[in-house]
Amino acid sequence: MKHLKLKNLLMALVAITALMSCHKDKNDVAPTPTAGIFVLNQGKFGGNNGTLTYYNYADKATTADIYASANGAGLGDTPNDLKVYGSKMYVVVNVSNVVDVIDPKTAKLIKQISFDKKQPRSVAFYKNNAFVTSYDGTVSVIDTATFAITKSITVGRNPEQLVVSNNKLYVANSGGLGATPDNTVSVIDLTSLTVTKTVNVILNPVAISADAYGHVYVISNGDYNTIMPGISIIDNTTDATTSQNTVDVGYGSPFVVNGDFAYYLSGTGKVVVYNTKIQVISSANFITDGTTFKAAYGLNVYSKTGEVFVSDAKDYKSVGTVTAFDKSGKTEYTVTTGITPSNIVFLN
Amino acid sequence: MEKLAFGINIKRNYYHDTLKIGFAIFLILFSSQLKAQQDTTHKLKEVNVTSLSAPNVQTIVPVQQISSADFSHYAALTVADIAANFAGVNMKDYGGVGGLKTISVRSLGASHTGVLYDGVVLNDAQNGQIDLGKFSLYNVQSIALYNGQAPGIVQPARSFASASILDIKTIRPQLTEAKPYLISVGANGGSFGLINPYLQWQQRISKQWSFVLNGNYTYANGQYKYKETGDGSDTLAIRRNSDIKALQTDGALYWAKSDSNKFKIQFNYYNSDRGLPGPVIYYTTASNQRLQNHDLLVQSAYEYIAPGSFHLLINSKYSQNYLHYTDPDYLNNAGGVNEHYMQHEFYQSASVGYHILKNWEVSYSSDAALTNLFSDVYTSYYQYAFPTRLTLLNAVASDLNFNRWHFQANLLSSYIRDHVKNGVAADSKSAFTPTIAATFLPFKSSGLQLRAFYKDIFRNPTFAEQYYYAIRPRILNPERTKQYDIGVTYQKSFDGFVHDVAITADAYYNNVHNKIIYLPTRSPETPSVTNLGKVDIKGVDVTLKTNVIPAAGWMGIFSLNYTYQQAFDVTSPDDSFYKNQIPYTPKNLINLNAGINHGIWGLYYNGTLSSSRYYVSNNTAQYYLPTYNVSNASLVYKILANKLPVNASFEVNNIFNERYVVVYSYPMPGRSYRLSFQITI
Repeated sequence: MKHLKLKNLLMALVAITALMSCHKDKNDVAPTPTAGIFVLNQGKFGGNNGTLTYYNYADKATTADIYASANGAGLGDTPNDLKVYGSKMYVVVNVSNVVDVIDPKTAKLIKQISFDKKQPRSVAFYKNNAFVTSYDGTVSVIDTATFAITKSITVGRNPEQLVVSNNKLYVANSGGLGATPDNTVSVIDLTSLTVTKTVNVILNPVAISADAYGHVYVISNGDYNTIMPGISIIDNTTDATTSQNTVDVGYGSPFVVNGDFAYYLSGTGKVVVYNTKIQVISSANFITDGTTFKAAYGLNVYSKTGEVFVSDAKDYKSVGTVTAFDKSGKTEYTVTTGITPSNIVFLN
Repeated sequence: MEKLAFGINIKRNYYHDTLKIGFAIFLILFSSQLKAQQDTTHKLKEVNVTSLSAPNVQTIVPVQQISSADFSHYAALTVADIAANFAGVNMKDYGGVGGLKTISVRSLGASHTGVLYDGVVLNDAQNGQIDLGKFSLYNVQSIALYNGQAPGIVQPARSFASASILDIKTIRPQLTEAKPYLISVGANGGSFGLINPYLQWQQRISKQWSFVLNGNYTYANGQYKYKETGDGSDTLAIRRNSDIKALQTDGALYWAKSDSNKFKIQFNYYNSDRGLPGPVIYYTTASNQRLQNHDLLVQSAYEYIAPGSFHLLINSKYSQNYLHYTDPDYLNNAGGVNEHYMQHEFYQSASVGYHILKNWEVSYSSDAALTNLFSDVYTSYYQYAFPTRLTLLNAVASDLNFNRWHFQANLLSSYIRDHVKNGVAADSKSAFTPTIAATFLPFKSSGLQLRAFYKDIFRNPTFAEQYYYAIRPRILNPERTKQYDIGVTYQKSFDGFVHDVAITADAYYNNVHNKIIYLPTRSPETPSVTNLGKVDIKGVDVTLKTNVIPAAGWMGIFSLNYTYQQAFDVTSPDDSFYKNQIPYTPKNLINLNAGINHGIWGLYYNGTLSSSRYYVSNNTAQYYLPTYNVSNASLVYKILANKLPVNASFEVNNIFNERYVVVYSYPMPGRSYRLSFQITI
């Protein structure tokens, strides 16, 4: 009798479970990207929830995580860089220690390159090679045809972004994980693939970019305390630092060069426009319709249209947004992304 | 720069299947003791039936209690496994023998649960949360959960200062001159490479003096298989770096002239070394982080109750918590993270009660605590604050019985002041916070009772929230909670098939404001910890407990706890998650415990059913965690072997091998086995 009762209870429990377990489908059906925007979302650090959002221009539809939809697997933890080279897209996934090579037309994974324990951060390209910085103080050279790592070049501590200019590779050595940050940029000769010079810049350099006038711009975070963030400029012929100025620039802001203008985020999330030809700030805020952000984080410019895209990481724990501004600085539309949207890439 | 890993994000895990030894022991045990079974059967029958006593649920605030006699019904290893069964409790379990386990009561957050260890609140000033997985059950007499606070009014002021209280009471010798000692030796082992021997020695020294000493050692490799689908592999992976070695020793010396004039001094020392497996991160190898803890607690209590009028309670405590955290994979130029933390607390409390009338007692309690934290965390741009915190708490309370009414109220005054060696100390804080509670018996001896309570309380920012990597001073206010509860209880004993029934149903509304939120911003210039959050919680807790005697010599127990919680984030209508359920909070949660015992055998089932949850603030499909249903069973065998009580049990956790997570990326173990054996002399 008591056994019967117990059995009934178990049955009831099972029934309740069945009722409660109407699983929601986690994966949307992967659309075929035609023309639109990819947004890389870092997710929570250590949260293993980096995602790749896709926004399609034609039907204005958003796919929350096109990588997961196309591959049936997540990106991993803290994807930190997204770039297109030729017909392929590269995702550098920092904490997961991989570089994913993706077909942007399908979002399908072509090759996953392991960087175990190296903590890869950023990627740049030059003549069929991909160059990947890792927090272990190296730049790895990857053959873009075979995806094999052909060489590892030792640079400074905790390198972040890197840029090619005048047949040289400039690597920002942040030293950001150490008790004392670094303050150098390593210059790598792209023929010999060796470090030829180490240039001093403002403490804790992270973002790096180059214009068509021989300037390499380095954005440094300073020490968060007494040394303020600023921009150092390196001359790409002499490889000497020509200026180091404390500037109102947001921590970790990208520096995006588009023709004669460069864009970066100020400490309060304004989009500052800098004239690279005459080396002056041409606008304190590109945005003209009064739009503000909770935590302006990523930035990119679509060169075809002059549109500016700004991502808002909000509280870094819930979903963010990317807002598109037309070339006059007025809001066109806003797309909901994943957690901590950082990189914006255009698919033509 | 992602170094702002907050405090120490304690991440760890579990162990896997090595039940071969277990089975061997089990078989030996059975064959040798089947004979002994027959002649002791009818003796034990009587013992079992007479020991049936239902804990009182008709208290002024909701109380749920499980005592040591019933621990074996839950296939439990630690206090966490027991506490998870209470209605209104949401356990955050990072999985595994060494995995962090904390409880949030009625969605208020784990930092709002005060943990009482023999009457004195345990304090973790750094992280504000007590890992209940650290407490083994061998020395525990009972575990109770109080919503609001404990029902009595003569208690330390700090006991009034949490939104809810988990009360752990240790075993106290009850020995006679004829048998002045009691020694229990036992061991526990099974899956995850778990080996867990323990010893308890209770001794009566004289009519007034006695002591108890406990020691237990836990070792487990902690490995277990889990199924990973999120990386596309769809195979069974093994959870690694989840080993633990822990030694817990504790003891107490008791002096009692009578029940109303007694003193005790006790200590508890916990020493552990464990791997922190961290979250499962796709495509990369396991973490190599490790954590060592050395926790020492020494406390004393003196209680004097004069007949009819005066009641005095004095508590003193010293505690230290040492923590050593290493991560060799962290790519700084020092070759990894190597951090040490040391917390000290000096605590003194005095509480007096006085019966103005026979049915009216008033009390006053006054507490002082001095807490500090040392650490060797530093960078060129940040120096550790070395905070010292003085907490002064004073409470007045009143308890009045009037006709069929029972009223209780107290007012707590808090004053908190910080001192720092580096940087800027937080402003001092003071507040008055009340609690009011009442019960009413609508009909005489019907077994029905109505109750209600209101409590307003706060928690101060922890040292981690206030100072950890606070390169700029953080302006933080205490996180405040308000609780409104109304409930009905029914309790009755019968002579018949149903021996007793206890039913409680409470509906509550809570809100949290100034919720302290950690923002992992990349810009340390803006505070990374803010007071932004607001949460509105509406919930229902229902408990049903009954003991039945279906036939002579048989006894059945049945206990069902149900929790409904709607916990909405109402921080701002502008948020994308406005009015979404807060992370990790199931709407429906059911805990069921049922069993039957006959003579020397007992068979028990324990199940938890949790509805789906979301692991971030947004309730969208992407961040969905599915429902899970976990069942445990225990087979308990109790005999007298040569007049010595012998207990053996075989426990299966997660019988149906459910693959699930409580915390995203922290997979829980599948089916596991444990065998335990104890002999008392």
